[in-house]
Amino acid sequence: MKPIRLLILLLSLIVAGLPQPVAAQNQRPTPPDDPDRDINLSQPDFTLIALPTTLRVPRFRSAFRVTHRFTRPLGQGDFGDLAGDLFGIDSGAAIGLEYRFGVMRGLQAGIHRTNDRTIEFFSHYNLLQQGTKGPLGLDVVASLDGTNNFRDSYTPGLGVAVSREFGRHGAVYVEPMWVNNSNPLPSELTDDNDTFMVGVGARIRVRPTVYLVGEVTPRAGYTPGVNQGSFGIEKRLGGHVFQMNFSNGFGTTMGQIARGGTSKDDWYLGFNISRKFY
Amino acid sequence: MRIRVTVLAVAAAAVVGVAGCDEKLANLTGPTPNLQPTFSSIQHEIFDTTDPSGRLACTNCHNPQGSRFSGGLDLTAAVSYNNLVGVPSRDKRGATRVIPGDPENSYIIHKLEGRSDIVGVRMPRGNGPFLTEGQILVLKRWIEIGAKND
Repeated sequence: MKPIRLLILLLSLIVAGLPQPVAAQNQRPTPPDDPDRDINLSQPDFTLIALPTTLRVPRFRSAFRVTHRFTRPLGQGDFGDLAGDLFGIDSGAAIGLEYRFGVMRGLQAGIHRTNDRTIEFFSHYNLLQQGTKGPLGLDVVASLDGTNNFRDSYTPGLGVAVSREFGRHGAVYVEPMWVNNSNPLPSELTDDNDTFMVGVGARIRVRPTVYLVGEVTPRAGYTPGVNQGSFGIEKRLGGHVFQMNFSNGFGTTMGQIARGGTSKDDWYLGFNISRKFY
Repeated sequence: MRIRVTVLAVAAAAVVGVAGCDEKLANLTGPTPNLQPTFSSIQHEIFDTTDPSGRLACTNCHNPQGSRFSGGLDLTAAVSYNNLVGVPSRDKRGATRVIPGDPENSYIIHKLEGRSDIVGVRMPRGNGPFLTEGQILVLKRWIEIGAKND
C-alpha cells in the first residue's frame, strides 16, 4: 500500500467519525455517560512530552496541542547571554500543531505538523485499559511521517505504548516502537534504514493539578545524534495542560524522535499546550 | 471484538504495506541516475563518462597518454582499480588514494571535494562542474563497504 492510500484510509476514518448534523443528533437517544470523558488524574494528557500516553480520546471528541522547542541551546554563552535572550525565547523555534479525534471508543486518529514541513498522521488503538482487563494499559500506535508537506521521504512507525498507573499519583510508560526509513539517505548508501526504539517515561502528580514528566528514548539500528530525552513540569487547568519542558532535541513525531536529539550537552527550553474539546 | 480485530487488521496491513519505504538513489545522484556504489558503476558513470551536467570524464586526462599530467593515475577500465585501492598518492606523501573502509581518509575523496589539504587542484581540473554531493556520497559508500572490485 502506498503512503497516499494510508493517508486516505486515515482521513476516511476521521471523516467517518465526524459528528452528525444537529437534526440527526437530536433524533439520537442520549448516549450513556462515556467514562472516557472523565478526568484521569494519572494521565491528564495524550502525550508525556513527545511520547504518547494511553489516554483515550472519547468518541467523537477531539483535542488540540501546540509544541514549541526553542532552538537556542541553554548552555550557549554565559548566563548574561542566556538571560539576554530570555532563556532562548528570542530565538527561533521548532513548532508543531496537532489535532486528534476519537473515531470510535478506544480509537483515535490525528495529524501533527511541524514547521520543518513534516506532517505526521497517527492513530492509536486502545487494546487494554488498566483496571478493566488487567494491571496495564496498552495502545497500538501507528504513524506515518512525510517531509515537504507529506510529499517526500515517508517514515512509517508501528509500536505499542504500555502504561501502568499508580492510583492518582501518576503513571509510567514503556513504548517499544519500530520506525522504518528513518534514514534520509537511500538504503544503498546506508547500513541501517530502520530504527527500533524503546521510549521510557513517567508522569508524577506532585500537587493536585501539577505534574512532573520525563522521558527518554534509547534506540538501535539507525541512530544518528543522541537518544532524545526530556523532562518538564506541567499544570492541568480544566481542559488545558500547560507544560514547560527541557529537551536535548526537537523531535515530536516518531520519525524525528528516531533521528535523535542534537547533542548530549545541548538542552533546549520548550513548552507544550494542549486543549481537550470535551 | 470483531471491530477490534478489523481495526487491528487494517492498521497492521496499512503499516506493513508502507513498510519498506526508501529514498531513491537516482534522486540523489543527479546527472548520473544509474550510479551505484559498485566499482563497475563508478568506472562507467564517473571515470569513463562525461555526464549531462558537463562534468568531464576522468579518463579525459587520467589515461596512459595523459599520465604525465595527471599524477601518474591512469583511470582507464583495465587498470583503474589497481591504481586506486591501497595505492599511495604520488603527489602527496603519506596519503593513500583509496583506503578500503575509510572514505574520510581516502585521498581521492579529498581531491574530489577540494579539501584544504590537497596538493594541486580540485578534481575534475578546471572550474567545474565538479561531482555533486550525491555522486561523492556514492563513492564514499563504495569505499566504506570495502572498495571491492565489483
